[in-house]
Amino acid sequence: MVCIIATIIISLKSPAFFSALNGQVLLEAISINILIALSQMVIIGVGQMNLSVGAIGGFAAISFAGMMEVWGISAPVAAGLAIAIGVLAGSLNGIFIVWTGVSAFVVTLATLAIFKGLNLAITEAQPFYNIPAEVGAFGNTTFFGPLPWILIPALTIVVCVNFMFNRMPLGRKLLAVGANSHAAKLSGINVSHVIIVAHCISGFLAATAGIALVARLQLGQPTIGDDWLIMSFAAPVIGGAILAGGHVSTVATVFGVIIVALITQGLVLFKVDPYLVQVVLGALILAAVGFNRWKDIQTAKTKPGMHSG
Amino acid sequence: MFATSEKYREFGREGATDWLKRIALSNEFGLFALIVVAVLVFSSLASGFLSNFNLYLLGRIIAVNTMIGFSMMVVLVTGGLNLAVGAIGVCVAMTCGWLIEDIGLPWYIAIALAIVVGAGLGAINGLLVVWSGLHSFIITLATMSIFFGGMIFLTRAESFREMPGVFTDFSRLKFFGSVSAMLIPTCIVAVLLGILYRLTRTGKEMLAAGAQPAAAEQSGLRVKKLFVLCHVLSGAVAGCAGLMLLARNGAAIPAMAGNLGQDWLLIAFLGPVLGGAVLLGGYVSVLGAFLGATLVSVLSNGLLLIQVGEFWVQACLGLMLLLAVVLDKVRRLFVEN
Repeated sequence: MVCIIATIIISLKSPAFFSALNGQVLLEAISINILIALSQMVIIGVGQMNLSVGAIGGFAAISFAGMMEVWGISAPVAAGLAIAIGVLAGSLNGIFIVWTGVSAFVVTLATLAIFKGLNLAITEAQPFYNIPAEVGAFGNTTFFGPLPWILIPALTIVVCVNFMFNRMPLGRKLLAVGANSHAAKLSGINVSHVIIVAHCISGFLAATAGIALVARLQLGQPTIGDDWLIMSFAAPVIGGAILAGGHVSTVATVFGVIIVALITQGLVLFKVDPYLVQVVLGALILAAVGFNRWKDIQTAKTKPGMHSG
Repeated sequence: MFATSEKYREFGREGATDWLKRIALSNEFGLFALIVVAVLVFSSLASGFLSNFNLYLLGRIIAVNTMIGFSMMVVLVTGGLNLAVGAIGVCVAMTCGWLIEDIGLPWYIAIALAIVVGAGLGAINGLLVVWSGLHSFIITLATMSIFFGGMIFLTRAESFREMPGVFTDFSRLKFFGSVSAMLIPTCIVAVLLGILYRLTRTGKEMLAAGAQPAAAEQSGLRVKKLFVLCHVLSGAVAGCAGLMLLARNGAAIPAMAGNLGQDWLLIAFLGPVLGGAVLLGGYVSVLGAFLGATLVSVLSNGLLLIQVGEFWVQACLGLMLLLAVVLDKVRRLFVEN
């Protein structure tokens, strides 16, 4: 609903919004941001947070680019290996969290520094420039009108994640652990196992986002992932995810990404200072959590005796 | 290093041997031993490690890192955290630069006003956290973006480089040829924080409110007011850290704490967490945070001296945080058995 209104307002004010090129750029940004947001959303679902989403994505991105440039590995194999690295990195997060029992915040802050440090140590802060043409083409061409190729993997993953959360036992287990890990344990769910799997999925999604970004930029930049943190939280939160865990919505998160993209794009088209975009993003998070909170209080009022959230 | 405060309290009043044992088992002693080991290792590996000049550099790093750690520690007391410390620090440094360069205020008034701005930004964090009833993680994540974005917008991402000589003179001042004068503000803040938590009513109330907010509320403490106060304190201390960086750089640079001030995050958590801060709140160790930050500074300085690349150092610090967490786990297992 908000998306449609925003689209109408922006397109009325600025006709350039509906140009094919703008549509393509917007959709490419949305595709990648969806992957980033879902990567965080899965972890929010189990009631934790993953600060290292950007670091894993960046590490996978430079591994992908580096393997193709330095070792001459073909793109699909390199992508597979990079994703494997992402999953491995995620599983490390999960294993450490489960094993030490320390909050996910501290563990992923530590792994953030480790992955980012490895990234910079390997690349020496220099980008990989020689990205094969077909990879660049995948990230920058469209298959129909303004629809970019990159949208296809993103949408596939959205469908899969949505299916997982709504239809598969694993998804239900994730949410059960997020809502009340003690109750989940008592009802026979292997909580440790579920948390580790969640972090693997998060690593997988972050790596996919990193690879997609390499394809789009045609550049294996070491700075990929540095600015993902705010975005990764903004979209799920705007989509109504509860940070305490147990409730996430894939579709709403996708809409969260679209709203953020529309607003930032709108600000650019209205020639608002690009530096203000960051302020707007922060304000959006505050507004969204404030609204969710207000909604909670309202539901609690109208349904006495029911616990919200 | 986590959740050990309960155990410490249980020890209570025993004999002298128990007391010694308690000291030997404490985080602070462990950290001190680790610092000594690190210093010995680095001084044997790198000849320049104990030179006057390096000790002076080390002092400057320790001073800033400790201050950053304190700014996080005062919020960890509440069981919350403050992701915006870096953003606030940079905002304060930029405010100070602006007040001096564009408004033409004398440096001491500018410093005072800038720290007030830091406290104000902290107050915004605190009020939002208390009003919304949400976890400070998401609130400070949002304000981090807002503060930093606002700062960049207002300054047009340009530095203030025409700083009076006082700043650089101060950062270059050294005693006995090797001790940096920048340790003075850090020590003052450390002593003040120590007094706050040990001797004053407000400090003790902060700890009580952080340990058991609901219980504290019921016993008549104004928990919300205390939490806001913690965030105000955090903003002010983060501001001090920003000003110290300003002095070190001789200029107020928007990028001095990285994008969104994220570069401070790891340091901000490493010191207090190594020093035994409990992320659930209610426990604090000023000495521990100081020693934790010192260990981090010694390690990063030493690693750079023995020619480990700058980027590997970052990975090493991350590994260290993990190691601290694992060691704590092992120690708890050991104590339980």
